[in-house]
Amino acid sequence: MTGSNEYKLNQGPEDSISAVKFSPSATQFLLVSSWDGTVRLFDVGSNTMRMKYQHSAPVLDCAFYDPTHSWSGGLDAQLKTHDLNTDQDTIVGTHDAPIRCVEYCPEVNVMVTGSWDRSVRLWDPRTPCNAGTFTQPEKVYTLSVAGDRLIVGTAGRRVLVWDLRNMGYVQQRRESSLKYQTRCIRAFPNKQGYVLSSIEGRVAVEYLDPSQEVQKKKYAFKCHRLKEEGIEHVYPVNAISFHSIHNTFATGGSDGFVNIWDPFNKKRLCQFHRYPTSIASLAFNNDGTMLAIAASYMHERGDISHPEDAIFIRQVTDAETKPKST
Amino acid sequence: MAEGGDVEWELSKENIQPLRRGRAISALHHALSQQQDGLSSAINQQRQAFESELRMYDGDDPLDVWDRYIKWTEQTFPQGGKESNLATILEQVVTRFTEGNKYYDDPRYVELWIKFAENCPEPLDIYRYMQAQGIGVTQTSLYIAWSEEYENQGNCRKADLVYQEGFKKCAEPHDKLLQFHKALQARVSRQVMMNVEEDDSDDEPKEPQRVSLADLKSRGKKKAIAPINRVGSAIRSIPGGIQSHGASVLGNASNSKLVVFDENKTRAGPSEPKLESWAAPPTSKAKENEQKPGIWCDVKMPQKSKFGHTVMAPPPPKPTFQPFVEESDQPPTMTPCKINPAVNSVLSARKPCREETPLKRLQEHHQQQKEAESGKLHEQSMYCKELLLSGATEFCFEELRAERYFKKVTQEVKGEKDPANATPN
Repeated sequence: MTGSNEYKLNQGPEDSISAVKFSPSATQFLLVSSWDGTVRLFDVGSNTMRMKYQHSAPVLDCAFYDPTHSWSGGLDAQLKTHDLNTDQDTIVGTHDAPIRCVEYCPEVNVMVTGSWDRSVRLWDPRTPCNAGTFTQPEKVYTLSVAGDRLIVGTAGRRVLVWDLRNMGYVQQRRESSLKYQTRCIRAFPNKQGYVLSSIEGRVAVEYLDPSQEVQKKKYAFKCHRLKEEGIEHVYPVNAISFHSIHNTFATGGSDGFVNIWDPFNKKRLCQFHRYPTSIASLAFNNDGTMLAIAASYMHERGDISHPEDAIFIRQVTDAETKPKST
Repeated sequence: MAEGGDVEWELSKENIQPLRRGRAISALHHALSQQQDGLSSAINQQRQAFESELRMYDGDDPLDVWDRYIKWTEQTFPQGGKESNLATILEQVVTRFTEGNKYYDDPRYVELWIKFAENCPEPLDIYRYMQAQGIGVTQTSLYIAWSEEYENQGNCRKADLVYQEGFKKCAEPHDKLLQFHKALQARVSRQVMMNVEEDDSDDEPKEPQRVSLADLKSRGKKKAIAPINRVGSAIRSIPGGIQSHGASVLGNASNSKLVVFDENKTRAGPSEPKLESWAAPPTSKAKENEQKPGIWCDVKMPQKSKFGHTVMAPPPPKPTFQPFVEESDQPPTMTPCKINPAVNSVLSARKPCREETPLKRLQEHHQQQKEAESGKLHEQSMYCKELLLSGATEFCFEELRAERYFKKVTQEVKGEKDPANATPN
């Protein structure tokens, strides 16, 4: 199925893929965390695995701090940083329960982790050490950084907006505008708002500015649904990734499809072919020329046999990612 | 007796909800000391453990986990309240096992239903629903709870009828039913006796007692001792009667407006137990305040005059004098404060929530199941929805998978420690 503009990565993880993240500066480096307990660094240009390091349990998320340092956490509740030049591990700290998300906020120069222990912790990446623990009302399922603001999605469909410069109080408490469990939140590169996806085939576009004029612009739409024999099959929307230049975004669902959306004209720009299994994670690279697609069964329907986990790298064009100017 | 911990529980007595079976004092101490500073992570971890056990359980008695979870919740959250999630868990468990009547006669299940009913605004509806569905109809505990509810509402006749129904259904254990029924009869008869006794004592020639707070003094030259408010037989217009219980104890005409309901008067004959079958769910919650919201300022209470008709208070007359105002006095200047009205307003108004009772939800659940069975579903969720939502809090796929992973790891560790028991795999 893979065409000339797309190829599969060699030496991929041996179990489900939990996250793919591109390097913030170099276009070809991709970090991949997996349920096999590893974090791998790929050079997608030459399609080789550059490095691999191990956690004691499955890894749920990873992030670049700078081009030479990766941070990762998972079921062992340990936060690790790895020097990609010297191949050395440092355990930075721990949560009380598995770590679900790891992100970096360049504006405030802080690493952020979210965990099922109902807390978000900040970490100073230079020392590195803990820089604060902030209790959330529920288990943290997803988080995203928009400038100096942090958007946290928890169980119970709650969304909390924190100001990373002043973590003394929650800036905004919201309820997800979608009816079902929050799967993923990603902030617009222009820091105006965020996109939230739910477990039942729906995506919401939300804005951070609480003024009524801006709030009027928010909307939600259905996607990742397939009609078969008169029954609409509704799939979870697991992954969102923004194109850093055009502010368009890609969504990936358990139906195996990847869609690219233009949030300003409320249009779908394109849909790729169907991948062998659920889309677990998506990542555009920093200049928006490539999209990493992790097709990996997420055990959303129990422990059943499933296609092999794989990462596809797809060259994307402006035609696929740029909003049509009307 | 007097341990150090006792003081703590004495201090927060009012925050502890009574339990039928009582509380373990150690659990209470533990819970109270833990809850000094919000929900501790230990409680969250225990709850998470229960939640995952609910989902991972694959034995043939899933109710057991729920039962333990609920008992733990009751002991850990002595003050009840929202964060205990008790109401949610109870609703989940009773709804969950209505499918297939495996547990309908299980004392634990019936006990959970009763707890659920006690948490509902209208417990009687729930009991009637249980009866209509055949849940716990052979269990004594249902009839006891049901009867006690009637008794609390002051309806002893219905309370008795509930026991009759229990006898008809041969509820088990029979001794207990008999015992509680006797106790009810004893209470009722004692009550009747008490009423009669009161009247008897009224009949006896006693010194008239005064109701007024102060002694009546004689005025002027007259040495009159009248009129006084007196109680007792001396002022009874009908001497030696048991006719009027309760009413006119205060024997004063002006107080007779207050009519005390007397159930003994409404003797409607021994009709058959009207344990009607379940027809429709109750429509609304018991609301305390049914007044429509409106503007509060400039609204005056209509006042009753002495003569009983409504009068509006006359507008206050304008003062005829000029109030003195100091020349230097100026209206206090407000601190300039930039309030952006857009920012202060809520992001989106809460949608008008439907009037929902637990029972209504139960019935909706039934409806949905029927639809699902008959294949009328238009949408199908492509993930293990049941598993994610089956507890009081939701889980995500990764959490479920993590549970399976941890289970596997602990099994492997056990296997390594004890290679004799390890399965050759």
